[in-house]
Amino acid sequence: MARSLRIGWFILLSLWVNGLASAQTKGSDKEWQEILNAAKQEGKVVVAGSPDPVMRNEIIPKFTARTGVAVEFIAGRSSQIVSRVETERSAGIYSVDVFLAGPDTTAIDLYGNKMIDPLKPLLMLPEVVDGTKWKTGKVWFVDPDERFVVRPFSSVATLLFINTDYVKPEEMRSYRDLLNPKWRGKISTEEPTTTGAGANMAARFYTQVGEEFVKALYIDQKPTPTRERRQMSDWLARGTQPICLNCREDDVRPLVKDGFKILEIFELVGLPGTTNGSPWLLSLANKAPHPKAAQVFANWILSKEGLETYARGYGSATLRTDISESYLNPGNLPKTGVKYFDDTDWKWIVTGRHESREKVWKLLKTR
Amino acid sequence: MQRSDTTISVAHFGIRFRPIRLAELSMLAFLAVTMGLPLFFLLIGSFNLAPPGKPAVYGLDNWVRAFSDPGTLSALWTSFLLSMVRLIPAMFFSVLFAWLIARTDMPGGKAVESFCWIAYFVPDFPLTLAWILLLDPNFGFLNTLAKSLPFIDGPLFNPYSFWGIVWVHTSAGGIWFKVMLLVPIFRRLGASLEEAARVSGANTAAMLRRITLPVLSPMILAVSVLSFIRGLQSFNTELLLGTPARIYVYSTRIYDYLQREPRAYGEATALGSMFLVALAVLLFCYWKYLSGERKFTVVTGQGYSTMRVKLGKWRYVALGVCVLYLAVMMILPLLFLVIGSFMRRYGFFNIASPFTLVHWQNLFADAIFLEALKNSLIIASVTAVGGILLYSAVAYLLVSRRAITAPLLESFCWVPHVLPGILLSLGVLWLFLSTPLRSVLYGTVWGIALALILADSPVTTQAFKAGLLQLGPDLEEAARVSGASWAQTYRRVLLPLLAPIAAAVGLMNFGSALTSISTPVLLYSHQSRPLSILLLEYSFTGELERGAALGLLITVIIGLMMVVGRKFGLRLSGSD
Repeated sequence: MARSLRIGWFILLSLWVNGLASAQTKGSDKEWQEILNAAKQEGKVVVAGSPDPVMRNEIIPKFTARTGVAVEFIAGRSSQIVSRVETERSAGIYSVDVFLAGPDTTAIDLYGNKMIDPLKPLLMLPEVVDGTKWKTGKVWFVDPDERFVVRPFSSVATLLFINTDYVKPEEMRSYRDLLNPKWRGKISTEEPTTTGAGANMAARFYTQVGEEFVKALYIDQKPTPTRERRQMSDWLARGTQPICLNCREDDVRPLVKDGFKILEIFELVGLPGTTNGSPWLLSLANKAPHPKAAQVFANWILSKEGLETYARGYGSATLRTDISESYLNPGNLPKTGVKYFDDTDWKWIVTGRHESREKVWKLLKTR
Repeated sequence: MQRSDTTISVAHFGIRFRPIRLAELSMLAFLAVTMGLPLFFLLIGSFNLAPPGKPAVYGLDNWVRAFSDPGTLSALWTSFLLSMVRLIPAMFFSVLFAWLIARTDMPGGKAVESFCWIAYFVPDFPLTLAWILLLDPNFGFLNTLAKSLPFIDGPLFNPYSFWGIVWVHTSAGGIWFKVMLLVPIFRRLGASLEEAARVSGANTAAMLRRITLPVLSPMILAVSVLSFIRGLQSFNTELLLGTPARIYVYSTRIYDYLQREPRAYGEATALGSMFLVALAVLLFCYWKYLSGERKFTVVTGQGYSTMRVKLGKWRYVALGVCVLYLAVMMILPLLFLVIGSFMRRYGFFNIASPFTLVHWQNLFADAIFLEALKNSLIIASVTAVGGILLYSAVAYLLVSRRAITAPLLESFCWVPHVLPGILLSLGVLWLFLSTPLRSVLYGTVWGIALALILADSPVTTQAFKAGLLQLGPDLEEAARVSGASWAQTYRRVLLPLLAPIAAAVGLMNFGSALTSISTPVLLYSHQSRPLSILLLEYSFTGELERGAALGLLITVIIGLMMVVGRKFGLRLSGSD
């Protein structure tokens, strides 16, 4: 009898919990619908970010079709976007709702100058807030307050590319192989003496391997610097500079398809792999003109559909657990148990990289 | 030019203004606000030591930091050398071309002139890439060709060098811009002086040296100053060809400060102030020259004739020189650029099926292409017409010798040439946002057009000024004596005489508006995005081939406008 009563109570309790959960979901659905309606009334969301074909050709049409909210995309270099937004704000104009920006701009300008609002309380789609859908166990807020800036991507970054017609894979095993006199003048790099990928890589080498290596690589090896990304991949394919330190994967991918023997290298002995949050970190502008539309956009872009569309177009690994990664080069996927140098780590961005970069620049002035 | 006795009184204040003074003061106020204020605030900003977004703290640190960097002085010296070295041959060839086109009976002059126009508007970035394909020491087409000769071992050419940069500049913009500005002025030169020289026994060379060039010197000098400052600010070619050879120029250093995180506007503006100094020195010399005893009037009411110099058998030699120059400096790289827009990967002939139409198809299929094209055409048309109206009036005030504030007016007109494009854009952005008209100006095609009109002021004002300097006062006086009002005089006398210059600068500004990136980049919105911003996006995302296709399309649009504009200009002037 007592056992039957216990079972009865258990069944009742289960029904109540189930009912509550269902009511909550319905409540969430209703709330989401209200936000969606409010977003539609706002009419549009203004997103600022780097010029990006995936954004223009895939994300915008898909988001608008799914939500009925139009997207205005303001594209430009991070420095230009921030200059513009700062000047607008000094005149009391708030035109941008969402920032899809790189780590430097996000950490130093947007977060540092208090231009963004907490995003955490605005995430509400069940598939977004469900911790099991994320490799990190929850949505990864990377700012010190853990509520402003979301990092949805984490891929292993390419360390370098080699053209194997000119450099045999066995000739590039250890980081010291880069210093082989045979490769003097045969390495290309994005200009390391100015802000950008070239300087960031040199700063990382400075921190990971030390000053002597940076001096030997960037001065003694006489690498060919450039500021034009296509120039590096062209040199790589033609073999004039068959080792490329800063080639972009999306520039090299078509070359591989065309039969050029190009090998992507993610780590070398003595130089462990690096992860980064490319292509962007997500944050919402404060005093946004279309706050509900911004909320809808943020939830959707972090959903399976939003992130998968972006990740496939761009070729990055997301932190979601429910997105197939078959489209990626296995080398881009962080391996479990391996410790990587995180190039998008907040502290590294705000202080470490800055300090190392200054030291590198001082060193390279002696060239 | 006759003074007007008409006055307008402001009764409440007891002040009386002649219309010309009122026009002058209005113009001065407009230019002071639109050109002077952004410059003033940028200069003030250069002393602000606080990071962007933080309360201002003033000091000299930005200036000290910018100028104490050992790289700064060497970059300044490199820029000076590059600008000077390429100015000399470019001025020689452009004066020669302009003279041959406008003052001689060389056959095909109009075709040569048209080619110069088209050449000027070919986008410089893909054109530089075309020169790399031709001259690269490892795979360059011309080097490969040269290596097949028995007596040549190594590469003959190297674009990644000082002389490589000079060569590519000479091709990309070296003489075309100067020819465009000089031809209308040469064309208007009355032949009476030359005929007098001939009668006195001077040969063609002596006539050129003693008569033609001195009389046209205001425009030749103005073009030289413009070109020299443009040379100092030159950026794209140096970035592409100079960086691999570690040739760093002054404008690259300014660019670097603007790209930093956080951005170093103070240092950038401090460095930019060197352009102000260079310009002040050059302008002082220019004004001294113009204010001397020399006279530059060539069009008067008496016996104006535009007979051309007969070159005899040399006319075909002259044409040959022009054609050879055009073929080597423009047609050869342009050919590579056209081919590049149809290649799967620019310059890679050895991949399977290297040619494709996909970049052109993608360009036309881009959802925002048509909207951007419409925006660009509106912006460019407004810029062209607005620039002509505004700066012909400014130039008239400068030349009429009745403006008491002429040096100030002229200085304001030069401001856009002193500031790097992105800093000017920032100043204009600030200006737009501070006015009650911001809803009309900010983020709209009208605002972008106004910003571009402001950016065009140095070239447009100088072109009109040089044109007006050629007109004798008797033309205007005769019209007034015959009872014509100022408006009638302007429409029936001045406008027809200025029409070729107006057509030239109008088209030039139309083309610049289509290709300018740094001015609209901070001012456009989703609705007002022009084609040049699309070009920026393609370049940023590495879509070089689609960028080449768009660049060529812009060149074609300008080519069509050129045909229409030239016909219109010539009809207005009654020359054709």
